[in-house]
Amino acid sequence: MAPDLLGPALALSAVLFSIGAAGVLLRRSAIVLFMCIEIMLNAVNLAFIALALLHGVAGHIMVFFVMTVAAAEAAVGLAIILVVFRHKQSVDLQHVNLLRG
Amino acid sequence: MIDLFSPMGAVRALLPEIVLSAWALLVLLVVAWRHRTSADCRLAGWLSAAGVVASAAALVWLWGSGARSTGLDHMITLDWFRFGGAAVILFSAFATILVSIRYLDREGLVAPEYYPLVLLSTVGMLFLAGSADMIVLFLGLEVMSVGVYILAGYDRRNPASAEAALKYFLIGAFASGFLLYGIALAFGATGQTNLQLIGAQLATGPASLMARLGLALLIIGMAFKVAAVPFHMWAPDVYDGSPTPVTGFMATGVKVAAFIALSRVLIVSFPGFDQVWQPIIGALALVTMIAGNLIALAQKNIKRMLAYSSVAHAGYLLVALWPGTRLGAAAVLFYLLAYSLTTLAAFALLGSLGTGGERDVSFDDVAGLSRRRPWTALGLAICMLSLLGFPGTIGFIGKWTILEAVLAEGQYILPVVLVLTSLVSAGYYLPLIMSMYMKPEGERPAWKELVLAQPGAAIVFVTVAAVVVFGILPSGIVDASLRSAATLAQTVMPMAGR
Repeated sequence: MAPDLLGPALALSAVLFSIGAAGVLLRRSAIVLFMCIEIMLNAVNLAFIALALLHGVAGHIMVFFVMTVAAAEAAVGLAIILVVFRHKQSVDLQHVNLLRG
Repeated sequence: MIDLFSPMGAVRALLPEIVLSAWALLVLLVVAWRHRTSADCRLAGWLSAAGVVASAAALVWLWGSGARSTGLDHMITLDWFRFGGAAVILFSAFATILVSIRYLDREGLVAPEYYPLVLLSTVGMLFLAGSADMIVLFLGLEVMSVGVYILAGYDRRNPASAEAALKYFLIGAFASGFLLYGIALAFGATGQTNLQLIGAQLATGPASLMARLGLALLIIGMAFKVAAVPFHMWAPDVYDGSPTPVTGFMATGVKVAAFIALSRVLIVSFPGFDQVWQPIIGALALVTMIAGNLIALAQKNIKRMLAYSSVAHAGYLLVALWPGTRLGAAAVLFYLLAYSLTTLAAFALLGSLGTGGERDVSFDDVAGLSRRRPWTALGLAICMLSLLGFPGTIGFIGKWTILEAVLAEGQYILPVVLVLTSLVSAGYYLPLIMSMYMKPEGERPAWKELVLAQPGAAIVFVTVAAVVVFGILPSGIVDASLRSAATLAQTVMPMAGR
């Protein structure tokens, strides 16, 4: 990636992160929420890779850790969604309402 | 002196974490063969408790050997602030395990993997509390969180528990996204991931927009984890739905680790940014104290009341964080200890007052408890008084140290609100005591057939005794927390002075 792509890459990462965050706040299905969170994490990965151009390899290393953590989170998260589905026959958060904040 | 850049130095500095990780894997191995009967489950529990003791022994050795790093804290810190936090976290894990041994039996949760999960999330907490680098901070946070997500949903036949796990997972992962973006921006602004180097780099120039944004996102991410209003929506539901010992673990261990890390980030990495973060922390503290206490007033069932009370206490802790001084950091550490001891005992006692997650134990259900089970009632009453901040308990000393730290900075709004909201909190802590001691016994108390079985009763006794003893003789712990905060500040001063 050429150095002059730093600005656009950071801007794209900010846009992706915002899309993900908006999705988490607006959507109702647990699976879609989870996908939006993954978009947020990958937006951060893009930012790290872009910034590694400026600051060196620490950014690349961080991306590997983030990917590993995201994989572990996906394993646990999908299992939890499955358990909820067995109880409710749905992953729609509107039906997940035993507990009320 | 420990050289953190050499392999042996790193091993020594990480000994408590290494012992606990290895032990967790060992327990997991044992559990692979023995996981069918409740005797196997108890064996795993006792083994895990021994692991926490071994890790605590390593911590004491490290602490007692006066270990300091030769230069920069590389990846992991070696200061008393870490050791103090780690001690509270290990105690929280130990108490949780001992209380769980009979609780899991009673609730028919024969699945000994519970204990390795507690140990592994404790490892995450230790890393989070000791992190000297954003990478370690993030990994510690995630190791802690992923373990606790599973624990929250451990009673998977109970829909409320599954729902708690789902909410905790979604909100927790969402918060991690914010925290991570904050780390990315801090890295972008400084080119560093080490907390001290970030602080040193930021001290050289004017505050850039990127650094400010990064700081704000870091605070938001952490505010979710410590359940500060307005990022608290998940906390009552998750605390309510989880098995009660897990709730005690989440309300103490997770909060201790997150507050230690947040203090470190603010004081070590962003010391020159106090005009940016002080208003944010102050505002969060104000709304957290007010909203947490007011909503807790409206609760009918005890578990939800304790959940909102734990939100309110996050507000008090944010007040302690606000000054960003040595005195403030010491108050954070002391209050974390006070709050953890009290909350652990309160949730453990609540676990002996109902079944199926204790979600329906209301204020009326404990009526007349003092006659039937005087010790349980006395313990619960002492816990409520300590949470309220009644003189003679550790909670009072905790609030006192916070007020002292904030008043030293000439700030008056936060202390006034802290005192007023503490008065409001009497409106939900005292009715519980009145119900236990002054009302006649109800028709069919939920707790009739239950007891707090050994070894849980023993650890609760020790904890409640500590609440009272340290409430009357606090000077040793107060001195220790002041010294801990002083070592934290020492690592900063040469950096901030550049």
